[in-house]
Amino acid sequence: MSGRIPGAMGLAWRGLRRDLRAGDVRALFLALVLAVAAATMIGFFLDRLERGLTRQAGQLLGGDLVLEQSRPFDATLRATLEEAGLVLSDQVDMVSMVSRGEAFQPASLKAVDDVYPHYGVSRVDRGEGVEAVASGPGRGRVWVAPRLALLLDLAPGDRLRVGRASFAVDGIIEREADPSAGFGSFNPRLMMHVDDLPATGLVQPGSRIEYEILAAGPAEAVAGLEPLLERLRREGVEVHDVRRDRPRLGSALARADRYLSLAGLAAVLLAGVAVAMATRRYVERHLDTAALLRCFGAGQQTLVRLFALQLLWLALAASVLGALLGLAGQAALLALLTTVMPVELPPPGLIPLWLGVLTALAVLGGFAGPTLLRLRRVSALKVLRRELDPLPPSAWLVVGVAAAVFGALLWLYSGDPGLSLALLVGGGLALAALWGLGGALLALLLRLCARLPQRGGEGAWQALRLGGRQLARRRSTSLSQLLAFAVAFFAMAMIALVRGDLLNAWQAQLPEDTPNHFAINIQPGERAAFEAALAGASEARSALYPMVRGRITAIDGRPPREAVPEEARGDNALRRELNLTWRETLPEGNRLVAGEWFAARPPAAQRGWFSAVEADGRTPLVPISLEDGLAERLGLALGDTLTFSIGSDSIVGEVTSLRDLDWDSFRPNFYVIFPPGVLERFGHSYITAFHLDGSDRQTLRRLVRDFPAVTLLDVEAILARVREVLTQVTRAVELVLGFVLLAGISVLYAALTASLPVRAHEAGLLRVFGASNRLLSRVQGAEFALLGLASGLLAALLAELAVAGLYWSWLDLPPRVHWGLWAWLPLGGALTVGVIGHLLSRGLRRQAPAASLGLLGET
Amino acid sequence: MSNSFSADASPILHAAHLSKRVESGERSLTILSDLDLSVFPGESVAILGQSGAGKSTLLGLLAGLDAPSGGELRLFGASLAALDEDGRARLRAGRVGFVFQNFQLLPTLTALENVLLPLELTGDGEAPARAREWLERVGLGERLDHLPKQLSGGEQQRVALARAFVTGAELVFADEPTGNLDPATGERIIDTLFALNREAGTTLVLVTHDQALARRCDRCLHLVAGRLTESDPAEVGA
Repeated sequence: MSGRIPGAMGLAWRGLRRDLRAGDVRALFLALVLAVAAATMIGFFLDRLERGLTRQAGQLLGGDLVLEQSRPFDATLRATLEEAGLVLSDQVDMVSMVSRGEAFQPASLKAVDDVYPHYGVSRVDRGEGVEAVASGPGRGRVWVAPRLALLLDLAPGDRLRVGRASFAVDGIIEREADPSAGFGSFNPRLMMHVDDLPATGLVQPGSRIEYEILAAGPAEAVAGLEPLLERLRREGVEVHDVRRDRPRLGSALARADRYLSLAGLAAVLLAGVAVAMATRRYVERHLDTAALLRCFGAGQQTLVRLFALQLLWLALAASVLGALLGLAGQAALLALLTTVMPVELPPPGLIPLWLGVLTALAVLGGFAGPTLLRLRRVSALKVLRRELDPLPPSAWLVVGVAAAVFGALLWLYSGDPGLSLALLVGGGLALAALWGLGGALLALLLRLCARLPQRGGEGAWQALRLGGRQLARRRSTSLSQLLAFAVAFFAMAMIALVRGDLLNAWQAQLPEDTPNHFAINIQPGERAAFEAALAGASEARSALYPMVRGRITAIDGRPPREAVPEEARGDNALRRELNLTWRETLPEGNRLVAGEWFAARPPAAQRGWFSAVEADGRTPLVPISLEDGLAERLGLALGDTLTFSIGSDSIVGEVTSLRDLDWDSFRPNFYVIFPPGVLERFGHSYITAFHLDGSDRQTLRRLVRDFPAVTLLDVEAILARVREVLTQVTRAVELVLGFVLLAGISVLYAALTASLPVRAHEAGLLRVFGASNRLLSRVQGAEFALLGLASGLLAALLAELAVAGLYWSWLDLPPRVHWGLWAWLPLGGALTVGVIGHLLSRGLRRQAPAASLGLLGET
Repeated sequence: MSNSFSADASPILHAAHLSKRVESGERSLTILSDLDLSVFPGESVAILGQSGAGKSTLLGLLAGLDAPSGGELRLFGASLAALDEDGRARLRAGRVGFVFQNFQLLPTLTALENVLLPLELTGDGEAPARAREWLERVGLGERLDHLPKQLSGGEQQRVALARAFVTGAELVFADEPTGNLDPATGERIIDTLFALNREAGTTLVLVTHDQALARRCDRCLHLVAGRLTESDPAEVGA
């Protein structure tokens, strides 16, 4: 018979269906399903998130391309944009007084046209609850922010004046469709129709008005306009492009994103280990089938084809089921993350599905391939002489091929060959060390067991001694099981530890009394009184920081745009005025990462800076402290100089320290801090943040009444949203953790199923020699518990090292020792492996010895 | 039963000067030496010998499961020496059946599926019907879906018999077919084996130490010190 078999596909399929009765094939199937489910779930999710974020960027900007300048755009430009295939929407922004009766209030006006908004919807209360509205206000009507409504005591239906015109309040805006400009101005929002603007008489020569064109269209259309956009930028037009200005993920979501990838890989690795364990048993069981088939006339090629096809069917079936589970899983992830998700996400694409199938095939080929090849070397003579088993492949070959395949998967998922190689080499070294360490640990445990008091009967000591001896007798099998369990416990522990530390870090980030109000524009004369007023009302508040507005006009003596890397030329910090402050000590929540703080300089020098200006007319260098993120973006280092223009003066600062700070901390944060004695002579006001209980409206009213010029911003809603985001991300992380745990259990199941026949034989022998059911049960329990204990210890060591590495390099969390791990992992390991192993081998103990002994011969 | 198969028909199995040695470290152990044998179509031949005499080794060689150390061996007229292991397997496909002492049924396959196994390799379109038919012939028509562990030893060996004959094999090798069975069950299995053999006109080569079984064969050969000597079946054990 040649290598070709008639109807091989069908034969393989029938063979597989019959094979499903065997535990190892079920374990193999389960492991593959889990690998595919984990890979596709995370793949689908991240793919949709990625595409959703790009869409969200468009929504935040208000379009795929936004042009902004202080005079109206000409018709030629509009025609060019429209010819390129873009749909245009006009918007005009300005700050103006609005009034109702005697009450006046500055407001941030936004006039929109009929096309508005390109993406998303606004959420507006028009008197009948909040509703989603996919347009701007109609002509003659305005929408106002809740704060403006509060300040002017407005409700839907009331009228207010904007300039010379009067408008009906049509709605209270809960959220704008394009909210990115919302926080840019401290004045509350008022939205109106652009056609109503002339009637207000606000558009006068000299008025501070921003004209915007919001364009929406395909990415290629925007890309084709690049030369035009470059010219516009040179002419001073502000150009926002969705491809460049895509918002970064919030730190919580960014970490969650990394955690998900990590967990997905851990699940795939675990599934791989399970596949490897199950394959060993699968192959051992099929050696007889292969020998029989050889007897019946099957050639080597036929055998390879038959088993390869059989496993291919298995992989395909597992891929379909795994992909369905993955789809359901990503839907569950999305359901858990509704608040975090940018708008509605595009539907799942096909790429993650292929990735899932590829994962199944790769895991099968990589973790099972070398072991499977053993089947083709079976001799037909084995049917007569059972001992003629082909040698198992070398452990190094098995591990080597598996590592290469896993490395390729790592590369595929992370897109980072360097990281993949580093992880692989590290993993390989760890495995080699683990091999030696595992052997030593096993030897030590067994020696300890042998020293246990030797008493007759069926007590716990006797069981431990016998259990230990059984492990020793099968040293190589025990060692490979020990390693498989250790890797499983390690992956589970690592994912659980990272989850715990991530959650702790998030909770520490926003404690209960996180400031929920900001007060800005506190004048120097009011400072003491405001501090006194707050002292009695709020326990948790930040210091009062002075604030001076200044613009960066030179970096190392060159125009900023020329001095910074190309991608930083449009950075906001270069386009706008920055809030500068001065301070003697490092602010709370800031951490020095380079250089030294001002206090290290003699006070005399600190006092001398400004007198020096006045004495010789030259500007001396002032030490300044820079936020390290800004320094990184602008390519600045210690020793670089920045020239600030403040009012009509110039100050040159030398970067003497870099600070790391948390922008999500709900405290006043500054890019640039000066030492005291430099900025005091410029006009300045103060800013602070404080926490007020939600019920304490009275304090708020008192502050508003006593300090009418101070602007109070309530950020409770934003804070609540951030907290909600964290809660949801936490739940998503827990869902993924559950997946990893499941994959870990599949390893236990596969490994224990694989060892059942040998155990059955041993149990049968012990039975023949007169062991009671009770003793058998104890011996097996002890054996499993010892295995679990040893693998738990190894896993603790491995997890501790790996987690420290991860925190340091990838997750941006401070490394620490997890003492509890060293206790609960070995104990938990002993308990888990003990209980699961004990339950799985229950059937063996019920079998008559003849059956147990025969079982080995027939399988 | 006399040796009624004349030498003018060409043998289905022919061995000349066959030898088998195994190397064990520096020592060489000769199991079979200078052994001659011809088996003609339709014959039933018993090979008797004590434990360790090399009966199973001889069976393995005759079936092409193993390669001899020397001598010539022809199966269905083809020289096995010219074939590699795959070639020998191809020669067996569909033409050789086996019955083993320990049945060699696959534990996860039902009785029907075990019988189907060799048929599926040859791509027989009628496979399920034929497998069912042969199981009915051995009296297991009601036990098609039972797994080996749900069958008695005798029933398992009957499944193995159905599997050996289902492909329409020209030559069936049996290795101690009653070795794992009690005498009464063994007797019934032998009855079935010879009945099937008669119906199908198959050539039978069996290895046994069961003299009652040997007596029912056309020829009886004794394996002693690596060589075969022939005796009259009627005189075996007498």
